[in-house]
Amino acid sequence: MPPVPEPLADAGEFVDDLVGDRAAEWDRAGLIPGDVLRALAARGLLCAEVPETFGGLGASSAANGEFTARVGSRCSSLRSVMTSQGMAAWTIRRLGDPRQHAEYLPELAGGRLAAVAFSEPEAGSDLSAMTTTIEPDGDTVVVRGQKVWTTAAHYADMIVVVGRYGSGAAAVVVPASAPGVTVTRVPRPSGCRAAGHADVRLDGVRLPATAVLGGGQPLMLLVTTALAYGRMSVAWGCVGILRACLDAARQHARTRRQFGRTLARHQLVGRHLANLLTGEQIATRMCEHASRCWDSGSPEMVVASVLAKQVSAVQAAQGAAAAVQVLGSAAAHEGHAVERAYRDAKLMELIEGSTEICQLILSDHAVSMPAR
Amino acid sequence: MNQDPATTAEGIAQAITAFVSKRVGADVPADQDLFESGLVSSLFAMELVVHLEQAFSVQILGDDLKRDNFRSVRAMTALVLRLNGAGHATGA
Repeated sequence: MPPVPEPLADAGEFVDDLVGDRAAEWDRAGLIPGDVLRALAARGLLCAEVPETFGGLGASSAANGEFTARVGSRCSSLRSVMTSQGMAAWTIRRLGDPRQHAEYLPELAGGRLAAVAFSEPEAGSDLSAMTTTIEPDGDTVVVRGQKVWTTAAHYADMIVVVGRYGSGAAAVVVPASAPGVTVTRVPRPSGCRAAGHADVRLDGVRLPATAVLGGGQPLMLLVTTALAYGRMSVAWGCVGILRACLDAARQHARTRRQFGRTLARHQLVGRHLANLLTGEQIATRMCEHASRCWDSGSPEMVVASVLAKQVSAVQAAQGAAAAVQVLGSAAAHEGHAVERAYRDAKLMELIEGSTEICQLILSDHAVSMPAR
Repeated sequence: MNQDPATTAEGIAQAITAFVSKRVGADVPADQDLFESGLVSSLFAMELVVHLEQAFSVQILGDDLKRDNFRSVRAMTALVLRLNGAGHATGA
């Protein structure tokens, strides 16, 4: 695994030790132990890009990306929780005012856990069908709606809920303990099983108006803004999946012998290894480029994030399938790193913009982009 | 306050016009409604946010992300001027 840059240089080993060989157990139980999440959250590692002025680590996108890949190579459920926390922090940074930054960001960098709720029963890829409302009422707001598949909501202390607000949209910071909030776990998800996916019901949840982030933006701009971070995090997480699969496949192919030679010496197996390496490199380079765009503040970051997510998720799904094929029966049992990768990677093609939605965004971009 | 604000506004408008025109591959008058003319997708709207922040050293947060602030080159110019002004006021 490549070294993780500062300020996260020691964080890679910290996560290696923390996860150890327990990812399979968490996957089977569908639960990451609370002390593991708290240990990471308390060090600011779940949202490492939060600036130091708010008690965060102030990591660059490039450094946090490499760290995200490291976590993703060990446990995609844990990486998913990290994606949610980082996305919540990013949404608050982007949409919140200075007072909200000062209130929420130190909490997220200091140990509280967060999720971001977008999807609804009738609003999956088509988020314009969203019906959750945030209604002003004096100096309070009332939140009503039903969110589904909210990653990490089971663990979250606060849930950033996106909904309709006046003629536009807003996000609102909802304490998970607020009256009217019901969090129900998605039973037995097919991938990232320990990521705490849950449905979130909001039955007239009354909050101070100061919990509303922004307000009045067009819904799709708000969603695009929030998802931009999520896409980067998922993309880097997929790099981690590819690295874990490449490592498992090449180790197995070097040692396992059939027909008098190692698997690696069988050309059809060798092709799988070559494709895995190629996929890992393509995804890594796409992510590095997108992170450079983020770190330099280039407008290209918007498209580069979609590209990185699209390419990395597709490569991870293909790479994981290839690794399953190389390992054969060695990985054909529940919880094996490669078997988990196979399930987890496929889920990455469905979330933060499915492969098809990302393709639609990219085709729109291809039509409208300036001539080179 | 060492520059004539009119010149500054003009300079900002020119720079934004150049960016938008290049990006959409067409001349864009300062008053053209970019959303109604279908020139701006959600993705491009976010690119505009990032571009303005980078090019003019401003932060566009919260309420300022409203669509009306990005509706035209003129609206974006006004937003940048206001955010710059706020910066000067705090610094003074």
